[in-house]
Formats: sequence, C-alpha cells, structure tokens
Amino acid sequence: MQEKREIYFEDGAEIPDDMIDELLREAHTGLARVLNRIRRPLARIAVIDSSIGDLLAAQSTRGLVALRFMDSEDATLLLAALRRRFDVVEDDAVAVEIGSEIERLMRGDTNAISARAVDLSLVESDFQRRALTRLRRVPAGSVISYRGLAVALGMPSGQRAIGNSVASNPVPIYVPCHRVIRSDGSLGNYGGGPERKLKLLRAEGFGVDSQRRVPPEAVYGHWRSRIFCRPTCSAVRQAERRQWLIFADPERAKRFGMRACKLCHPA
Amino acid sequence: MRVMDAKPKLNLPPPFDEAMHRHEREIMRFVLRASGNREDALDLFQETWLRAYRAYGQLDSAEGLRPWLFRIASNLCLNRKRDRARRARVIADTELREEHAGAILPMHESALHLKSMLRRLPNKQRQALVMRKLGGLEYGEIAVALGCSEEAARAGVYLALKKLKAE
Repeated sequence: MQEKREIYFEDGAEIPDDMIDELLREAHTGLARVLNRIRRPLARIAVIDSSIGDLLAAQSTRGLVALRFMDSEDATLLLAALRRRFDVVEDDAVAVEIGSEIERLMRGDTNAISARAVDLSLVESDFQRRALTRLRRVPAGSVISYRGLAVALGMPSGQRAIGNSVASNPVPIYVPCHRVIRSDGSLGNYGGGPERKLKLLRAEGFGVDSQRRVPPEAVYGHWRSRIFCRPTCSAVRQAERRQWLIFADPERAKRFGMRACKLCHPA
Repeated sequence: MRVMDAKPKLNLPPPFDEAMHRHEREIMRFVLRASGNREDALDLFQETWLRAYRAYGQLDSAEGLRPWLFRIASNLCLNRKRDRARRARVIADTELREEHAGAILPMHESALHLKSMLRRLPNKQRQALVMRKLGGLEYGEIAVALGCSEEAARAGVYLALKKLKAE
C-alpha cells in the first residue's frame, strides 16, 4: 500500500496557488477521459419571438429536436426533458434561423420549413415515432383526420393512440400536427391553442368555413391511388371519407401529384 | 422576423465546461482543506465534477450554481470521513476476529494481509463484504445502506470474495 503524502493546513493557512495549479492539472487528465465517456450530445436552444407567440426552440446536431409555445403548460417539462438528454447551450442564432423560417411560413411560403431536418430523439415510443414520421408526409395545404392517420399507419382503430402521439409531438409546426383534424370535419384541439392551429392552416392555404370546418370546395385525395374526388363522390363514400387526405382545393391536390377522379370530375 | 428587443429569459446555468472553468480552483481548495491530503483531494475533486455533470440538467438557475457545487463537494467530503471512520472500526474488528483464528495462522501476518487486501477492494464491494460477513446483514439491508439494488449488493459481496480468494 502506497503511503499517502499528508498535507496539513492550519485553519486559515494559505494553500499556495502553484499547488492548486499542479493538482488541477493532475485531476483534469483523468477527469476529461471519464467525462468524455458520459458526455451528452449538444443542443442549442433559444426563445423565438414570433408573430404567433414566443417559442422555445432546440436544435441538436441532427436537427430540430424541440419546439414549444412558451405559454403552453408543458414548456418547462419539455425544457427539463431536453436538459436530461442534452447538454443545453443558449444560442441566439437558433432563434434567428428557426424564427425566420416560421415567419416565412406564416407569410405563405410553405417550403420555408421543409428543408430542416427533425430530430425525434425526445420521442419515447416507436409507435409515436412512426406516427410523427408519417405525419411529416402530409403536405402543406392539406389536412388529415386522426382516423385517417391511424389507417395510414395500418391500425384503423388506433385514432386515440394517434391523438396522444400527435398531442405530445415535441416538434410542432415542423412535424405538422396542426394538419390533423377531427373526422367530423371540425378543427379539433392544438397544443398551442386552436387559434394558432387556425392561423397556421390559413397561412398554408387551408381555409376553413365560418363554422371552422372543412370548406365545401375541399377535395378528398386517396393517399395510395393518388386520385382526388369531391366529398360527394361515390368512391369517397365507399372508401369512407375519414381515411382520406383533405386538400383545400383541387389545385393543391394536383400539386401533390394527384389526378382528378373520372367519376365526379372535381377539377 | 420581429426585432428581438429582450434577450430570452431562460436563466439557465452556463455550459458545464464554463462552470467548471469558473469554479474549479475554489472547489479544489475546498476539498484539499477538507481532506488534508492530495490523493483524497484529487479523488473528491473528480467525483464532485462527475456528479455535478450527471445532475447538471436538474440545476435550474444560474445563481444556484456555486452553492450547488459546494453542496456536492461537501457532501462527498462528509461521506468520505464517515467511510473512513467506519472502515477503521471494521479493521479493528477484523484484527480481533483474526486473534481467535490465530491458532491456524500467525495473527499479525494474516490480519495485516487481510487489511491490505480489503483496502484494495473498490468501496462498494468492500462495504458490501464487510456488512455481510462481519456485520451479518441481509442483502436487502446492505442494499438499503449502500443505496443500490439487492442484486448489486449480492454481486458486490461475490466479487469481493472472488478477488480475495484469488490473492
């Protein structure tokens, strides 16, 4: 057993600076190695002052990892979850980057948010990750029902589970949970409040009628066959209209690469 | 984008490396004074920062950083002192028991040997072994005392015995 070199200090006796320096050097060699083994990934965060309200945004090296309206109840919970998973650094550049994309979206530029990668590492379950990944493919200017998204994921009666998955979406706007509405054609709820859902949908070119329901000129696009129909078409009734992607008008359905139904001639 | 008139008010603590850079000297001074020797000081210093890193996400204000670091360091120093005292008792115990077995082995040699072997065991394993074999505690009780699971306590005793037998 190696004998310890004892150093005793009387109360108040000075510890020389160079002794501290030497100890620090020695301590850091081992410490750095262990720390590097347990380091969490980095996330840059900032508060964005946007036209639809203050947003907390977090960007990891893989993409946008979290976005939350500061006035929502779970904003602090989300921040805590972020800080458990990541080494968080405040960085105003994030506010500028993400903020300008959101402003462009609010002015109607639907391509503004499509280029940014999304990091779903705050998502706990595989099912939720699948649901959100699928949801990303719902294009701007269209909406889908909870039921429809459940069908698209291959579990036709999973609309409740979808509802939960979408409600706890860590990256709203970029993972467009505002594009999920209720099967009866009403808007349904939104994490940032229904008003914001409406604003986002309008900015993307999906207007609702005065009752805040899907407008009469909307067309129903079938995801698989790439055909879109009027809501009254027999094909829609047969395949159940809840399972379809709803476009604000025929133009947008075409832009998404769909063709008009030959039975009901929606275009 | 609207003009950012006020800086965001998240009031998070600084990045960990910056916190370490800011406070490492005073923490080193503190643990050196508390322990009185450089090996312990180095140990306590590293342990303090490792613990601080693991729990850093739970620290929720910039102002709380310094007292929080000192609380970690002082808790570790206290734990260490308590462990020292406990270990001293255990070793005294060991020597007594060895006296009874003195018929088989010359007492002083075996006691010294066991003492040095025990010292070389990792903390958890040594504590677990001592509690089980000398203190006669149940594994469940050891688990509570060491703040680990019952399986971990069992494994600690097993590993400690294995190491002792190997020597």
